[in-house]
Amino acid sequence: MRSQKAERIVNVVLALLFIFPAVPTAFASDIGSPATEVLEGLYPGKAYSPYAKRNFPSHVYWGDSHLHTGLSLDAGLFGNILGPDEAWRFARGEEVRSSTGLPVKLARPLDWMILTDHSDMMGIAIDIQTGTPNILKNPKGKEWHEGFKKGGKAAGEAAFDLIQNFAQMTVPEEIVMAYSPGSEVYNGIWNQIIDAAEKYNEPGRFTAFIGFEWTSVPKGFNLHRNVILREDASYARQVTPLTTLPPTGSTDPLVLYQWLEDYQTKTGGSAFAFSHNGNLSNGWMFPTQKTYHGGTVDENYVKLRAKWEPHYEITQIKGDGEAHPYLSPDDEFADYENWDVGNLDISELKKPEMLKGEYAREALKMGLALEAKFGVNPYKFGFGGATDSHTSLATAEEDNFFGKSVSVEPSASRINHPFIKNDMGEIPGHLLVASGYTGVWATENTRAAIFDAIKRRETYGTTGPRIGVRFFGGWDYTEDDLRNRAPAFIGYEKGVPMGGDLLPANGKDAPTFMVYSLRDPIGANLDRIQIIKGWLDNKGKTHERVYDVAVSDGRKIDENSRCKTPVGNTVDLEAANWTNTIGASELMSVWTDPDFDPSQRAFYYARVLEIPTPRWVLYDKVRLGAKIPAESELVGQERAYTSPIWYTP
Amino acid sequence: MKTRKMMVLYVMAALVLSSVVTAQYVGPDEQDYDKMLSEKYKGKSYSPYAARDFPNEILWGDSHLHTGISFDAGASGCILMPEQAYRFAKGEEVESSYGIPVKLSRPLDWLAVTDHTDNMGFMTDLIAGKPEILATKQGKDWYDRFQTASKDEKPAIAYEIIKALMVTKTFPLEIYYGANTAGYKSTWQGTVAAAEKHNDPGTFTALIGYEWTSTGNGDNLHRNVLYRDNGDKALKMMPYTTVAPLGSLDPMDLWNWMGEYEAKTGGQVLALAHNGNLSNGWMFPVDAQYTGREVDKKYVETRMRWEPLYEITQIKGDGEAHPLLSPSDEFADYETWDFGNIVPGNMVIAKEDQMLAREYAREALKNGLMLEQKFGTNPYKIGFMGATDSHTGLATAQEDNFFGKHSGYEPDPQRMNHLFMKSTRGTMMSWGQVASGLGAVWAKENTREAIFDAMKRKEVYGTTGSRIRVRFFGGWDYTDADLQSREPAFAGYQKGVPMGGDLTTPAGSSAPTFMVYALRDVIGGNLDRIQIIKGWLDKNGKTHERVYDVAVSDGRKIDKNGRCKKSVGNTVDVKTASFTNTIGASELAAVWKDPDFDPKQKAFYYARVIEIPTPRWTTIDAFRLGISIPKNVPVSTQERAYTSPIWYTP
Repeated sequence: MRSQKAERIVNVVLALLFIFPAVPTAFASDIGSPATEVLEGLYPGKAYSPYAKRNFPSHVYWGDSHLHTGLSLDAGLFGNILGPDEAWRFARGEEVRSSTGLPVKLARPLDWMILTDHSDMMGIAIDIQTGTPNILKNPKGKEWHEGFKKGGKAAGEAAFDLIQNFAQMTVPEEIVMAYSPGSEVYNGIWNQIIDAAEKYNEPGRFTAFIGFEWTSVPKGFNLHRNVILREDASYARQVTPLTTLPPTGSTDPLVLYQWLEDYQTKTGGSAFAFSHNGNLSNGWMFPTQKTYHGGTVDENYVKLRAKWEPHYEITQIKGDGEAHPYLSPDDEFADYENWDVGNLDISELKKPEMLKGEYAREALKMGLALEAKFGVNPYKFGFGGATDSHTSLATAEEDNFFGKSVSVEPSASRINHPFIKNDMGEIPGHLLVASGYTGVWATENTRAAIFDAIKRRETYGTTGPRIGVRFFGGWDYTEDDLRNRAPAFIGYEKGVPMGGDLLPANGKDAPTFMVYSLRDPIGANLDRIQIIKGWLDNKGKTHERVYDVAVSDGRKIDENSRCKTPVGNTVDLEAANWTNTIGASELMSVWTDPDFDPSQRAFYYARVLEIPTPRWVLYDKVRLGAKIPAESELVGQERAYTSPIWYTP
Repeated sequence: MKTRKMMVLYVMAALVLSSVVTAQYVGPDEQDYDKMLSEKYKGKSYSPYAARDFPNEILWGDSHLHTGISFDAGASGCILMPEQAYRFAKGEEVESSYGIPVKLSRPLDWLAVTDHTDNMGFMTDLIAGKPEILATKQGKDWYDRFQTASKDEKPAIAYEIIKALMVTKTFPLEIYYGANTAGYKSTWQGTVAAAEKHNDPGTFTALIGYEWTSTGNGDNLHRNVLYRDNGDKALKMMPYTTVAPLGSLDPMDLWNWMGEYEAKTGGQVLALAHNGNLSNGWMFPVDAQYTGREVDKKYVETRMRWEPLYEITQIKGDGEAHPLLSPSDEFADYETWDFGNIVPGNMVIAKEDQMLAREYAREALKNGLMLEQKFGTNPYKIGFMGATDSHTGLATAQEDNFFGKHSGYEPDPQRMNHLFMKSTRGTMMSWGQVASGLGAVWAKENTREAIFDAMKRKEVYGTTGSRIRVRFFGGWDYTDADLQSREPAFAGYQKGVPMGGDLTTPAGSSAPTFMVYALRDVIGGNLDRIQIIKGWLDKNGKTHERVYDVAVSDGRKIDKNGRCKKSVGNTVDVKTASFTNTIGASELAAVWKDPDFDPKQKAFYYARVIEIPTPRWTTIDAFRLGISIPKNVPVSTQERAYTSPIWYTP
């Protein structure tokens, strides 16, 4: 074999060459621009590679739009010693130690997050614990700090004393002032928040938004809003967050809108706000006539609200806010993780007539009525889910739930701690909801792209699972449009995505909707996809209806567009496990509204339900040997809520 | 200040809620976080994703990709370089060599650019007009014509260059890129520099590597060499070629080079062979090596030392099993290429049936047991990887995004109909190219070190392009209860060994148990079934194999012979090149106990996971390009995953 060098080279080249085309006809055709004309027929892609040349949002980016660190007063007092640094690292997928020392890690990293600490008294609790100079300078501050430092019983006593002093308003004035806007300390904390976001923001990989929570809660009525800034530090440093305490702060949303306007004017940037927990507002979240602060719901109010609140946090740890069975008696899935005892501190119990001002679906309906009256719909918002965790840990999955606050991080007894309990009533600990996240359809993972997507409402909320959902509305979708693995091409071509407005009918009879959903890759199969319609009739009355549009396991959808056969339940209560032997890995449908009236305003959104899976309490039972109260729900059907698509005559 | 006080009070009340909960403030000691956990729960911390001490990430990659640097790729029109190859692998949209926009459905986690070392860089430098090449009359002539040639004329010139080497032998040796030439060295430096630039620990791993392309008489003995190391070490020695005196066609010489590299640099390398199906019986020798020497103790020991993995599936045919070797395995005839070897030109040296036993992975595993019996070392104790072997700079393995073997076969209406190879056994047209495969690595993190180490311990598997997630464990005590969790890996690692591992003496139990589970590709087809394939050596020194179905979809039954003969069905709509996931399962799992175990017999077990039928790339071409599918081309395919085996050694 080993002969002449030249021959060996020849051999090598022969081998390398490996089947060169005998007649290179492959090169004879113009393969640079093939078949544009053929592609025009059936194939919807813009290039042979279906993943190339996409001019629409092609990725869903998962995030938490609402998370507190130890800088939040309440979080800090409850023992959260993790600051923004740990919160960002955790969200990016790193393993950290929780405040109670438990190693914790997300199943999958998040793609983005908004860190939203309460703007009132921001940073005070963590400074007492770490013993910053300004705290140690004050005798009481020093005493508390030393208590914390000793740990154990002394720390518990210090925390208790601190809370007592807050409740009695006997915290030394100089300490209170130091943690209000305008002070050097407060500015320092704001800068710390900004710096941390800058450090962890990494365009293309992870987006860290600068934001805060404006915690308006007059008389315990939850009017909270989170604020998100589109820009970086150079913009954020030009402002300090709005608080609710006078004289600089206010609990009135109109003042917050002014703050947003001022931010945009002053910096040239963009910002908006989104509210949450209407369920704890005792009817004040979505007013239709009077506002809490003594104003009326007039043209000015609806315009400002529409301008500054394009988004709503529909589901989170303190209850799911989509629908309530009292308002939607025909919707058997409406009663999901509802909190309807009273307002946030249960200083006033819930009355049924309050509910219509609290839930998202009802707000969408009332928005149509207000739009008919004022020409502007104040409640034209998209949906997102968030945790509102106060642990610095954005945990929304049932099997990895670290609770509302550090006091209810995993332990065998945490289920016995009520969220709140007083003479009026109780929200027991087992009601905490391991929810939720927001899926954002964006073109890239940057502050600008994600902010813009949330603003145009191309988002959906889930109660924790990463269910993939596309939802399009138009006039010409047909079943054939679903016969490929990338229906989004046709989706965007023929209509509008979630959050959009239906184009004019142009003589078409009824709108069509294309919806498809993929289960969470490591989660549960899907039970069904529903489309929920709300509309305003000619007499100014609002209505709603739930349609099943795709169901698993060959079940039938009846002539009323419903499937009343439940999907079943595979949950093993002893093992905290389920099997994906029921349900579907993916569901899809093209649906035409059978009851369409072109003269009536309407909205449509999709709700995707998973098969039943264990609630977090079952994992506590199996992992920690926790005793679960008999009244606790053990199983739930997680879900996704897409932003609506609106029809306006 | 009264108002202010009131307000503050409300805020505090609302934020802090009721003050009943303070006793919990102090959490458990750091050491105690696992003491709170019950016996039932196998996790190390309440958070099942934390404190894991086992490989937890599947990292998807391609261990075999050529760019325009490879002589044949460059000659076929590939102008993409490692820079574009890495950017594409990382998920960026690029333009193919012929200007077609292309992007992966999902980024890869790692990539090894493995250009052929022989004549490495020549074509690139010719096209770029390197002075040394232009200094020769012939080089100048080729260059000038390339400069003015149209896109259609260029391939003809490339072909002429190859002819100069192959047929007329007029290729000027002074511009041949041997391993000691400046052109070769700078090419290697460029390849290493691209890998260094794109390696991003934690996000993307660019493995340094090359292909050693031994093909004496057209018999494919190719190996890819992968480095664990960074550029500083990789640049200390020039990669090995097949041309004497610096190189050799003998794998023993390659392994010797690898040994020298490790000794000299303190680094680590491994080699993966591929395309035994084109070796005409020389890939997995049993008696005689390719060089004519006998398979001896030295051969088996050296091979075992350097080749822990085999590239089981790729664009030039699937290499798991052959129907003649596995007549009772109805899934064995998958994208089989058995016309002959790869002597160039289209006429290859024909395959003879007796060669097959030394070409396919399953048979090699069986022969390995036999050789181990004889020499005390199993030379074919190989884990499995899938790779593309694309010569386009584009690691495309998905059926719906396939850019062909080389740039001449990028998507166009004619690309299915070229003569690909011919022998006395028949003719293969270019539709026979396989849109395959991918390598999956179970690692703790995405770094060169972690990926290389996982490859060494064979905790890897190959797929034909789909990102099917598979865990496979072997031990003596797995029970169905171990699957009663979404995190069976805890029990998997606690009670046994993962894919690639070894089982030895039974711990009092009668037979080994295997836990296997699979999740479909998130955006792909559902799963038809999971099979476990066993091979063993009987006491007479004869090898055997058997396929067991261990989990099947849609409520089908597994019969008393451990088989489900009922097919899963087929939803493929040829006209629209689509399918529906209305059949099959999104996930399958099983704990299986070997019903035929003999503790005295050496054996291996691996899992094969099979998807429901989905459209083959040719069906997709027909739909997208508006053409018809040639006769005899299967319209659908059942993609699959092959796990590395677990061995039992008495």
